[in-house]
Amino acid sequence: MALTLEIVTPEKRVARLECDEVRAPGSLGGFGIRKGHTPFLSALEPGRLTAVAGGQETHYAIGGGFLQVADDKVIVLADTAEARDEIDVERARRAFQDASDRLRSLTEQDGNYALEAARVKRATARITVAG
Amino acid sequence: MPSLRDIRRRIGSVKSTQQITKAMKMVAAAKLRRAQEAITKARPYATLLEQALVRIAQRAASEGGAGHPLLAARPVKVVELVVITSDRGLAGGFNSNIGRRVQRFLVENADRYEKILISTIGKKGRDFFRARHVSIRKDYTGIHQKLSADKAQEIAREYGERFLSGELDAVFLVFNEFKSAISQKVAVKQLLPVETGPAEDSAGIDFLYEPARKELLEQLVPRHLDVQVFRALLDSAASEHGARMTAMESATKNATDMIAMLSLQYNRARQAYITKELSEIVSGAESLK
Repeated sequence: MALTLEIVTPEKRVARLECDEVRAPGSLGGFGIRKGHTPFLSALEPGRLTAVAGGQETHYAIGGGFLQVADDKVIVLADTAEARDEIDVERARRAFQDASDRLRSLTEQDGNYALEAARVKRATARITVAG
Repeated sequence: MPSLRDIRRRIGSVKSTQQITKAMKMVAAAKLRRAQEAITKARPYATLLEQALVRIAQRAASEGGAGHPLLAARPVKVVELVVITSDRGLAGGFNSNIGRRVQRFLVENADRYEKILISTIGKKGRDFFRARHVSIRKDYTGIHQKLSADKAQEIAREYGERFLSGELDAVFLVFNEFKSAISQKVAVKQLLPVETGPAEDSAGIDFLYEPARKELLEQLVPRHLDVQVFRALLDSAASEHGARMTAMESATKNATDMIAMLSLQYNRARQAYITKELSEIVSGAESLK
């Protein structure tokens, strides 16, 4: 395998594995990483992070953070990260519903707008990965 | 000379105290294990984040400028100490060591700063300063019951904002650093401004940044603050359980010694009593002859 991927959150290490390719939700748009990538540090949006190993895809729902590549080592510093089987879909759906309801009543100038929008994104990420 | 019954009663009471200290020791040991695990689990994120931050900040520094307002040191007039203690006592010198350290800090630095503020996390610290009529700026409650990264973040963000607004110029965390299960050390650690070490001569290729370095720093630095606070809280929690375990262990041992001593006293008194009875009987029988 060409890459090592390490996903850590403030509370624990979620994964450390070998893979061929990593696809991540960058803050300026999604991107992919393969062997020999230039040293790179990017902010991440809440979304789906995918590790591809031998054609097999593993998905993680991450709640924003950072990704760093150097010497074929990919380090993901995620605020939250869950593998597919760790996700509580019911809870994510409720969170999605609540946050989008609140979002509708807010304008973009509102202080809580960004907060609720991030909640919607996180819930969406969880639902997509679990789905 | 205490009567036989008095001694027996004392032995009973020491025994029941010993049962309590023994139980507390076991509980502390179990909690310590969990707390230690939490520290170990949190370590990779903290280390990796710090590495990323230091590299990017040093790169910025080598090109002039601090790169981020939270990294910029300025003449220090107002200092705040965030004092982390436990909510519960019976942990040996755990809380009083912290209190003493803070008092020393206040004495030593009274002339250096215009103002030293104190905030507390944990009931014991709050009570310590209240009893001494030291004013507390803010008491953060309910942090220890269920320690989470979110709570640490709330505190860290508050200090970040107050630092930026110019309300204070430096923040220190005072807490028990976890060395091992039997040893804790009081640490005074600078939280703000964030220290990233001396500017290194930045050889090697620079990273590609997305978004630009400045925006990235804006996201990285607050995260780093969160982690520093979270780590101090985790360390303090593990230290607390370690300190309590040691304290309860020696209390249990003291109780054992005390029981041994009392038993000896009891047996001696009993023997003296029997001897006395016997000689009374003998002399009584003697007089009947």
